[in-house]
Amino acid sequence: MNRFLERHRNIIDFALSSLLRRKAKNISLLLVYTLIVFMVASTIFFMQALKREAALVLKEAPDIVVQRMIAGRHDLISVSYGEKIGAIRGVGEVRPRLWGYYYDPVNGVNYTLMAPFSQQPAAGSIIIGSGVARISRLSKGDFMVLRNFDGRPTLLKVERILPYSSELIAADLIIMTESDFRTFFAFPEGHATDLALTVGNRNEFTTIAAKIVQQFPDTRPILKSEILRTYDSVFDWRGGMVVVMLGVAGLSFLIFAWDKATGLSAEERKEIGILKSIGWETADVLLLKSWEGVIISLSAFLSGVILAYCHVFFFSAPLFAHALKGWAVLYPQFRLTPVINAYQLAVLFFLTVVPYSAATIIPSWWTATVDPDAAMRS
Amino acid sequence: MRMSTLFILVTSACVIICGLLPLHARQRQGKDKATLLANAELVKKLQLTDLCLFTEARYTRHPAMADRHAPFQDHPLALEHFPSGSLVTPPHFHREGP
Amino acid sequence: MTVIELIHVTKCFNAGKLNQLTAVQDVSCAIETQRVTVLKGPSGSGKTTLLTLIGCMARPTSGRIMMRGFGTASVPGWEEAEEVEITSLPERFLTGIRRTTFGFIFQHFSLVRGITVLENVMLPAYPTGEGHGAIRTRALELLEMFSITRHASARVDLLSGGEIQRVAIARALINNPSIIIADEPTAHLDSRLSQEFMAIIGSLKSEGKTILIASHDPLVYDSPLADTVVEMRDGRFTDIGTAT
Repeated sequence: MNRFLERHRNIIDFALSSLLRRKAKNISLLLVYTLIVFMVASTIFFMQALKREAALVLKEAPDIVVQRMIAGRHDLISVSYGEKIGAIRGVGEVRPRLWGYYYDPVNGVNYTLMAPFSQQPAAGSIIIGSGVARISRLSKGDFMVLRNFDGRPTLLKVERILPYSSELIAADLIIMTESDFRTFFAFPEGHATDLALTVGNRNEFTTIAAKIVQQFPDTRPILKSEILRTYDSVFDWRGGMVVVMLGVAGLSFLIFAWDKATGLSAEERKEIGILKSIGWETADVLLLKSWEGVIISLSAFLSGVILAYCHVFFFSAPLFAHALKGWAVLYPQFRLTPVINAYQLAVLFFLTVVPYSAATIIPSWWTATVDPDAAMRS
Repeated sequence: MRMSTLFILVTSACVIICGLLPLHARQRQGKDKATLLANAELVKKLQLTDLCLFTEARYTRHPAMADRHAPFQDHPLALEHFPSGSLVTPPHFHREGP
Repeated sequence: MTVIELIHVTKCFNAGKLNQLTAVQDVSCAIETQRVTVLKGPSGSGKTTLLTLIGCMARPTSGRIMMRGFGTASVPGWEEAEEVEITSLPERFLTGIRRTTFGFIFQHFSLVRGITVLENVMLPAYPTGEGHGAIRTRALELLEMFSITRHASARVDLLSGGEIQRVAIARALINNPSIIIADEPTAHLDSRLSQEFMAIIGSLKSEGKTILIASHDPLVYDSPLADTVVEMRDGRFTDIGTAT
């Protein structure tokens, strides 16, 4: 056993000294490799954390949301629909939801305005999300100026600011009373943006939705499971951002492997010849080459993953903020709760360490099998 | 010190750190649980349906509520103009409706 | 005592093709232990090929090579005094024998560029699984023996011809071989260094090592140290003389 370990250690010694001999090339290789792993691992961590957060938080979303469609577009729904839907067996409460968008030209931000059933402020006052407060630099007691449907300014007093920890769900919210909302938008009475239903039995969601569509063919019920699935797919492997990242990583990887796999330099071949002639077997040479590959790929993988974890969970992924922010002015500030998906990391490991090590060994195979007497002959 | 010793030590340290990451994650999950529950409560009270991630456009702000038309709000052949739109795809629904 | 015996050994390259070459033709001889045997002959006479056959680096096309005493201990199951037919051994055992019994000094010395002298000397012992410390100690002793300890951490590229030669010899000795094989060792050395080389050979012989040299340098084959001089031409032995 000891002999076995010593053999490996000796060969690792020589592999390290071989790598250090071409210091510049190998160090830059290691850095780029680490960068690729870092980016992919960061994406994995970020997406997984968001996925978990979305799933846990949106569990409390309405069971069914009923929208009305005109010409295939989302339109206002009459509250009378709600009364009839409430009569369907299995439906608990029906609450009309009032919400909409407001564009603030001064800051170039989109806010979501809403008048929820509960948690309404006093008349003439608003409860704002912490992102709103940040962008417009408002504090409790200040006044916010919004332009209503007419273009006339409306003064609303900030009654309360939602906690900073709720930014991920409520950063851009402006909550007002129902009457303020209807006046502000000239929102027709007896109508709502959509209806939120509470259903007692989870198994009945689909049946009830089918009944709703049957009764009101111009509606579109959205189930909670569909809401959750939307977010699942946004943060999925196949989601836009991840695909871009993987594509970039994959291409860079191919470039590496190609460089390695297109054969050894004359110097490397000569060296293998010398090793064979001084008593190294083919197996020893291949072990050397594989250790060279493993040293680089394993180091890159470990450091990439650790750096990615710190990047996402200690520094809140500043590198992604820019990409996710897009053209938005308001981007929520949040610190994600760490989630480790061992399966995905294992896949990353096998996709990075194995191909690279293979790409290092395979071109050496042919040279390693050369007869030891070739060195005598040369 | 032998080079291989240094390499083995550093690599082992990294492996140990990687092994500790799940523990750290679990610890943080425990700590953040209260905030998570508070947020869930807020979602329930306000009856929210979406995370506030992409505030660029309507269909990116509420992707779960978006309809197929929203990205083409300006014109049937309108190309995507918001970067977030490339990250958020239209949702899949069981029932398409009429 | 005969340690290596060649019986009607022939080595043919590219058999059946247009560039077929018979490097060694029906050679039979016996190498005596603790003696210096010199293979004399012009280039192309098959000396190098014969050395590779004796040193377990290649197999003959026909014929047998027998080995006695030395190296047989590395083959599990064989006892010291027994005779082993090398040509019939599987590859694995052949490599084992080669590593423990033979030390090679090549014509161009073939040191690995870019690493230190010490590492070059230690290199043949790396895959054996021997402890690093033990190998290192032995390597340093060898460097001491050839008075090049001060170059231990120097890059090989920076050494002079004579120093490189001595490093090559030290490397050949790292695994404590009983048989040293040298192929044209003085080809790139001046007279002074050539004589130094022969002096080292003399001391190795007195330590009990068997030495086999291929050379067309008169300094080597006319040297008083050479016990047996075998002349080769076109792959055949033309004269097996024993120096007095």
